[in-house]
Amino acid sequence: MNSSLRLLWLIPVLPLAGAAVNLLAGKRLGRSAGFFATVLVAVAFAISLIVVGGLLDLAAPDRLYIRQLFEWIHVGTFSVGATLRLDPLSATMILVVTGIGSLIHLYAIGYMRDDPRYGRFFAYLNLFVFFMLMLVLGQNLLVLYLGWEGVGLCSYLLIGFWFEKTENANAAKKAFVTTRIGDTAMLIGLALIVVKFGTLDYTVIFGSAGSTLTKGAATAIALLLFAGAIGKSAQVPLHVWLPDAMAGPTPVSALIHAATMVTAGVYLVLRMHVIFEISGVALVVVATVGVVTMLFAGICAFGQDDIKRVLAYSTISQLGYMFIAAGLRAYSIALFLLVAHAFYKALMFLGAGSVMHGMHDHTDMKQMGGLLKRMPVTGVTFVIGALALAGLFPLAGFFAKDEILEVANSTGHAWLFVLAMVGALISALYMGRLVFLTFFGRPRSEEAERAHESSPVMTIPLVVLAIGAATAGLLNLTLHGALSTFVEPVVGPVPEGSAGIAYAALVAISSSMVAVGVVTTWFLYGSGKIDWLALRVRMQPSQRVLENGFYIDNYYSALLVTPGKALAAFLAYVFDVRVIDAAVNGIGASVRALARSGRKLQTGLVRTYALAFLAGAIALLVFVGFRL
Amino acid sequence: MSTPIAYFLVLSGALFAIGSVGVLMRRNALLIFMFVELQLNAVNLALVAFSRMHASLNGQVLAFFSMVVAAAEVVVGLGIIVAVYRRTRSVNVDEVEALKG
Repeated sequence: MNSSLRLLWLIPVLPLAGAAVNLLAGKRLGRSAGFFATVLVAVAFAISLIVVGGLLDLAAPDRLYIRQLFEWIHVGTFSVGATLRLDPLSATMILVVTGIGSLIHLYAIGYMRDDPRYGRFFAYLNLFVFFMLMLVLGQNLLVLYLGWEGVGLCSYLLIGFWFEKTENANAAKKAFVTTRIGDTAMLIGLALIVVKFGTLDYTVIFGSAGSTLTKGAATAIALLLFAGAIGKSAQVPLHVWLPDAMAGPTPVSALIHAATMVTAGVYLVLRMHVIFEISGVALVVVATVGVVTMLFAGICAFGQDDIKRVLAYSTISQLGYMFIAAGLRAYSIALFLLVAHAFYKALMFLGAGSVMHGMHDHTDMKQMGGLLKRMPVTGVTFVIGALALAGLFPLAGFFAKDEILEVANSTGHAWLFVLAMVGALISALYMGRLVFLTFFGRPRSEEAERAHESSPVMTIPLVVLAIGAATAGLLNLTLHGALSTFVEPVVGPVPEGSAGIAYAALVAISSSMVAVGVVTTWFLYGSGKIDWLALRVRMQPSQRVLENGFYIDNYYSALLVTPGKALAAFLAYVFDVRVIDAAVNGIGASVRALARSGRKLQTGLVRTYALAFLAGAIALLVFVGFRL
Repeated sequence: MSTPIAYFLVLSGALFAIGSVGVLMRRNALLIFMFVELQLNAVNLALVAFSRMHASLNGQVLAFFSMVVAAAEVVVGLGIIVAVYRRTRSVNVDEVEALKG
């Protein structure tokens, strides 16, 4: 066995150690807490590179390294190990998590500089990286679930990091509860797997799924697991938590709510694709949820005024794109988009954070404008990220998006193809609007007038990520690119057909979609020929609908939260008092009543007792006598 | 022929009955105590009588035990009666009713 692979266990352990140290001694470390945490994640990234290098040395079919650290649970014949698995899929994921993660840590040193809970922030961030690594490195579903819930916890802690403000605390609670709905379904799915396979180990599940599972059982398991993915990856109908999660510090939005944690759902589908394929129906559901989410969130993104909320809806939309790819069995393309998206979305979130720093924490795009001149590094890198997302040639998003379109096209999924194309147009529209409102035109407020560039510790990650966003396309230039070939042993080849239009025509259409989107938004928001503020007032009602995400939150609170609260109130103030308490008190009262009548037997007269003795003795005699 | 067993048993039963009635009727603790002794000795008499009838020593041994226990019980019982008298200046059991429910 290659010796560099033996370092694998260090990758999750380093961030865990960092979290422990920062949690216990973060105050004493002071300013160096952030530096310490960043170095640990960067070292984890370096080790990841070494380990993945070791993996690449092996022949393609042998690229699998499994290492059991210790036995975690052992009950009867059921056993779960704390076991790590390195294969091309998890290798890609750990590079993304630690690579993007260390850049965001670096950025956070600058961004969180004046925060009173500096050490604790980095402790949470490190803890998140640890759980995310466990999630992707686990060799069984329970280790994955540990990571899954762990990142959920970190997400909760970090969204509510500035918990002094009630809305932040509420957003954290909302994220936790909403994802919990999906997680519960997922846990049931895990239980079903244990029932069917008697284990949660990937090797056993993948090896025997074909012979063990009927189509129905596979569908049930796949849909339950996918419900977990819907919650974690903020897909319709459980997407409502992600826009509110923007209440957290911006590095958190970049790391957790764009680049890594929300992609865990995509990873789960890729990892368990064997079961999804047996079912078949489940893949249709995945693609359907993906396409609905992509369109819905894209449209909502167009109506947001808060720069971070635009990005949040855009993340939801892009995750929908990934699920479309997964639903089409183009798993490696979904992974490719995941990696590319991690680059440009982390970049844009960090850019948004930099803008907020320059603008004294204002996030309303109506008050920005003209920031490109005042914040050149932030502006340029942000524009690169936005164009990469919109899918301009030759940036990363172009290849990822066009490959998904090509799969949909060539395998004859005409509707998916058309809708995905519409999605591409929408993403160009909302990105164009965001960029033109923020960085071009004239400044529309005092703060925008006096905005200044952020410090190098914040702009260096931006530049690195911008380079990544621009060049990540090289990973997979075609359907059989490097990344597709690399992960093929795990997820299989990309499906291809000969239906649909020619690839060149497809590229022409999708590129013209980008052009149309950019030109339209330039005309509306950038040219100065249209008074978009007046237009906005005229379109007020529809703009409101978009800004509030079609009032899904209101429906949920009317349909679920209000009845839920009413039920809770009924249980707490009526049922608990009248039934539970009444039962307990009733038992007490009846015992007391019995005692009140029973005590009359105690007359205090000794001769009565003596008479009772005698009567008892005679009764005994009579009894014994008759028995004889 | 020796005395028939029935004689002893009738005497024993009569003594026990007298003792029982005395325990139930009397109020003076000391007198109740004496009636209890009467009951005990009635039983002892029956034991010895049966022992003779069966030509076995078991009954007599049990009677001895009974006497020893009775002696110990007298010590305890008299002690209690003295203690009650000290407290209430009376040995009337009807007046001792602190545990009335």
